[in-house]
Amino acid sequence: MKCEWVNENILLYVYNELADDARYEVEQHVARCADCAAELKAVRKFNATVSSLPVDEPSPNLLAASRMRLQEGLETAEQGGFWQRVMFDPWAWLHQMRFSPALAAVLLIVGFAGGVGTMYSILRGTSGSNSTIALEEHVAPIEANITGIRSIVQDPGSNKVSIKYETVTTQQTEGSLNDQRIQQLLLFAARNNYNSGVRMDSVDLLTQKPDDTNVREALIYALRYDSNPGVRLKALSSLGAYVKEDVRVRDAVLEALLNDSNSGVRTQALNMLEPVRADSSVRNVLEHLSQDDKNQYIRSQARTVLAQLPEID
Amino acid sequence: MAGNTVGRIDDTVLVREAQRGNRAAFEELVRHYDQAVLRLALHLTGSESDAQDVFQDAFLKAYKSIGNFRFECSFYTWIYRIVTNLCLDHLRKKQVRKEDAPVAKDSQGEEFDVIGQVPDGRAAANPERDLMRRELGTRINRALDRLTPRERMVFELKHYHGLKLRTVGEILNTTEETAKNTLFRATQKLRGSLSDMR
Repeated sequence: MKCEWVNENILLYVYNELADDARYEVEQHVARCADCAAELKAVRKFNATVSSLPVDEPSPNLLAASRMRLQEGLETAEQGGFWQRVMFDPWAWLHQMRFSPALAAVLLIVGFAGGVGTMYSILRGTSGSNSTIALEEHVAPIEANITGIRSIVQDPGSNKVSIKYETVTTQQTEGSLNDQRIQQLLLFAARNNYNSGVRMDSVDLLTQKPDDTNVREALIYALRYDSNPGVRLKALSSLGAYVKEDVRVRDAVLEALLNDSNSGVRTQALNMLEPVRADSSVRNVLEHLSQDDKNQYIRSQARTVLAQLPEID
Repeated sequence: MAGNTVGRIDDTVLVREAQRGNRAAFEELVRHYDQAVLRLALHLTGSESDAQDVFQDAFLKAYKSIGNFRFECSFYTWIYRIVTNLCLDHLRKKQVRKEDAPVAKDSQGEEFDVIGQVPDGRAAANPERDLMRRELGTRINRALDRLTPRERMVFELKHYHGLKLRTVGEILNTTEETAKNTLFRATQKLRGSLSDMR
């Protein structure tokens, strides 16, 4: 019977969920049938009643507070946490490694992979390009892998000792230079690795993308602070192209020219400043060098460059 | 970063950027939805602090698992799904707590749930009408509490937030037909409860 069908669909009608033809049918029927019209009225009243529990807009304060709290949460959340986890102080790390011989006397060890598992899952999570990850199986504690001891507990009345320690396991990842993850690892390596060969390799690769601000910063850092002149030279050559457009690069190159301990680096720096030789700060440095520098070659070069500059009024 | 900021940047673009680790893109994505999410959480939980917790958990969860988003549905559906699941958890926990829920007696000597009260910030211009409205609010909340979490959720999304049943089905990972039937059950129960209370 028609009323049955209408009854079933009145709720959907009120919620505007009916297709156009069904909606039309309901309207037509309700106009002629008192029972169904009464039901429609009842449903509408029910709707209105329930709606008297209004859906308030969240107050601006609540919204602002929620947004701020989320901001803080995002900063410490896992995705961003990758950077924080990976940026540790290499000197403290090396110092702790010397502590490891104490473990030779232990009878029972409780392994704790610490941050490694998380690092693995983070690298896993940010996929997108072709990349593979190989994680070494949990190995027996090797002195070189241990980064620190978390706790040492002795079982009372026995010779058993439980030790929690943290290890670093070697992982491997592959990807293209455009891969964000690869870039992050390269940036990290350029700054922190105690092996200059690795630093050289990473700077070398980074020089292929010097238009990225982060990369440029890392190259400037390498130019300023790296202990290996070869690395500094490599960073310098790559930065050369940006000496004109980026003031920070220009200033870093000037610093290298003034303060670098290696004359090869200084000479290269002088050559790199050619596009900006007319800048007043560069001019000042050149003047200073032409008179006071201990290195004869630098002195004469500086004089030559100055001579080529147009006279200032 | 790609895209200009004139007008709204497409979700898809932002999602792809966020998946590559671009936090700013994720934050922009959040701005597309944060008000709606907070509104839903606030109305469903009835509490500002619970709403904030749901809000925080939902977006953090989205941030951590955005790498797994495969564009099988819209981001809209995906985020609503996350929020809805958190709301369902909240409702289930609330059900468990109901035995210990503090109750108070109103002017008629009738019990009403203190937890079920909806905070009303508006000034009391007409105290009697306010009282009636609060009592009605309490009755409605009590009626809503009698629904199962799923029924409550479907009703909430359909009635209070105007989502299409088809969307509700997608959000709950079920069919439109199932959502429809759940809605019927929910409204039947509610109509029954509310007429009893009159």
